[in-house]
Amino acid sequence: MTRLTHHELIAFLLAISVMLLFSRIAGELGKRLKLPVVMGELLVGIVLGPTVLGMISPEIFTWLFPRSGNVTYAFDGLFSLSVVMLLFVAGMEVQLPLVLKQGKVAIYTSVSSMVIPFFTGFAVAWYFPSLFGISPDSESHLLFSLFLGTALSISALPVIARILMDMNLFKTNLGMIIIASAMVNDLFGWLLFSFILSMRVHTGEGGMSLGYTILCILGFGIFMLTIGKRIIDKALPWVQTKLSWPGGVLSISLGVCLACAAFTESINLHAILGAFIAGIAIGDSVQLHEKAREIIHQFVTNFFAPLFFVSIGLKVNFITNFNVVIVAIVLVLAFIGKVTGASLGAYWGGLKRREALVVGFGMNARGAMEIILGTLALNAGLIAAPVFVALIIMALVTSLSSAPLMRRFLD
Amino acid sequence: MQPFDLAKLKGRPAFPFETIAVAISFSPRLEALLAESKWIAENLHASLLLIHVGEKTAEKEARLDKLLTKLAIDEKKCRINWMDGEPVETILRLCKLNVVDLLILGALSKENLLKFYIGSVARKISRRAKCSVLLLTNPAEGTSKIKRFVVSGEDHVKTIHTINTAVYLAKHFHVKEISIVKEVHVPGLAMTMAEDSTAPEASRLRKNLAEADEQELHSVTEKCDKDGIRLIEKVVRGKQGYAISKYARDKKADLLILNSPDTQMGFFDRIFTHDIEYILADLPCNLMIVHSRPH
Repeated sequence: MTRLTHHELIAFLLAISVMLLFSRIAGELGKRLKLPVVMGELLVGIVLGPTVLGMISPEIFTWLFPRSGNVTYAFDGLFSLSVVMLLFVAGMEVQLPLVLKQGKVAIYTSVSSMVIPFFTGFAVAWYFPSLFGISPDSESHLLFSLFLGTALSISALPVIARILMDMNLFKTNLGMIIIASAMVNDLFGWLLFSFILSMRVHTGEGGMSLGYTILCILGFGIFMLTIGKRIIDKALPWVQTKLSWPGGVLSISLGVCLACAAFTESINLHAILGAFIAGIAIGDSVQLHEKAREIIHQFVTNFFAPLFFVSIGLKVNFITNFNVVIVAIVLVLAFIGKVTGASLGAYWGGLKRREALVVGFGMNARGAMEIILGTLALNAGLIAAPVFVALIIMALVTSLSSAPLMRRFLD
Repeated sequence: MQPFDLAKLKGRPAFPFETIAVAISFSPRLEALLAESKWIAENLHASLLLIHVGEKTAEKEARLDKLLTKLAIDEKKCRINWMDGEPVETILRLCKLNVVDLLILGALSKENLLKFYIGSVARKISRRAKCSVLLLTNPAEGTSKIKRFVVSGEDHVKTIHTINTAVYLAKHFHVKEISIVKEVHVPGLAMTMAEDSTAPEASRLRKNLAEADEQELHSVTEKCDKDGIRLIEKVVRGKQGYAISKYARDKKADLLILNSPDTQMGFFDRIFTHDIEYILADLPCNLMIVHSRPH
């Protein structure tokens, strides 16, 4: 069995320590400037990564974050675990009954805010692939087009929830419509992304059919959200009262999450799908104590999230991969597709014009979810670094501009 | 069957209950159901309409006559309607036709999974009725035990009518106080707080939310006609439907009173359970759904 050497272990632990400490400092400083925490974490990654530290002192950079050897495997495992955990907590906040409860307007908004940006992104990538450095004859043309559509259609529930909280809109009807629609966007966005990732695997190996992949995704989702959820509903009261608190519920929830992630990975769907669906099944349970939910969130948000978001800056040089044309295209597409789609849906659903625009700009915040999506796509080879950088910038710009633009249309 | 005049129903106030219908099925609990219905009708000075959807046989007639005599139900204030047809549609139609204010049904607290998803007669009616519905889970043969009321205080235009109906019932049932419960569920709150809230910020935020909820509930109860009944305000945390159901169960309530749902609940609402479906899945006590007829 390969083990980390004495020096590798020191470097590994020190790197984690540096990532956590610096991201916390950056997060706290950013908070004072009303910036999202994720922005501080990304900046720490950029500073510690090839963009800044790698340029100033390549020796320190490669000592702390080696590009080869056993430490890279350790980091890879840790970052994979981080993304699984992040998707798990994202799933925990998806409550499909809320969409049914909000009724027509939420359904119209969620459908329209997915369909319009998806087809906007897909059409541009399909008809003008050269803009993104993709050859129209390449195998990845279709997958990239599907990915760009998905990337533009997804929303970021955590950022949206925070914006609504700060604007005192959280418990209003408008706030609930935005939250419910973002939940649907997240659900279908991640389902679609898992499908695209599995298609990439299959294209490479010539293995499973398209039908089988769809069947697996649907079958797993339906099972977990019906029978799986009922089992969780029955088990949680026992777990929360008979086992140690909060250790019992924490280990069981995370255990279920990892088992589901392992299962979906084993059937050639990505591990994130299992984690996300497990999150929905556990988070939607009426039996889950609010305190347990908070503990899981705290654990993931304050340990795994900083590691993951800092690691993004370690992988890519943001200066050399900055392509102003791609950034501009992605930004324009993101704003047009999402704001138009969500606003039209809300308007068709019965909201007034200004309210519909508030919903449109509220749904436009992409934040952490877009960054996770982009990172996974980059790792899977679906996109190149310049598109990834454009997606990160788009995620930050949409998150930062959401609240001020919403305020313009609020009475 | 003659057509009914919807104008008679439109704008009719949620109470007083002048005509009370009881759907009977000749189950072992029939006597208890009739006894409790009689007690309710007498206290509310209402007339009774007994509805049976099914074959009219001499045996059934004899059993019903015997029970009516035993329970001393006044024949002048009680009509019996025997009908053939599909139970849900027929009962709903008869209720409209007879301008029924309250429909009483016997119901099991919990049904098996398959029946719950398909929908039993009582639950189907309670989802669709255009009049108030009372589901009796454990009807009493002697004096009624409906003493502890829990009423939903959700933020909705119907709530004032529902609380006023509860006050009307409480007055006639000699109940002195009613618990008005507001359920608070803020999806995404844990996620929002986890990211960048300091401990004082988080507790201040929670305190502000709690105060706002209490204030909202108070502003609702202030608008109600208390009529000498004490309204106890209570805010509970949890998903709508589930939280109030748990509260009613914990407090050993005898009657849980809710607004009628705005939309007709369907199969998907049972799969992705929410609101009243949590309660119908496992009735914590007798349940009344107050139908405020729009003007």
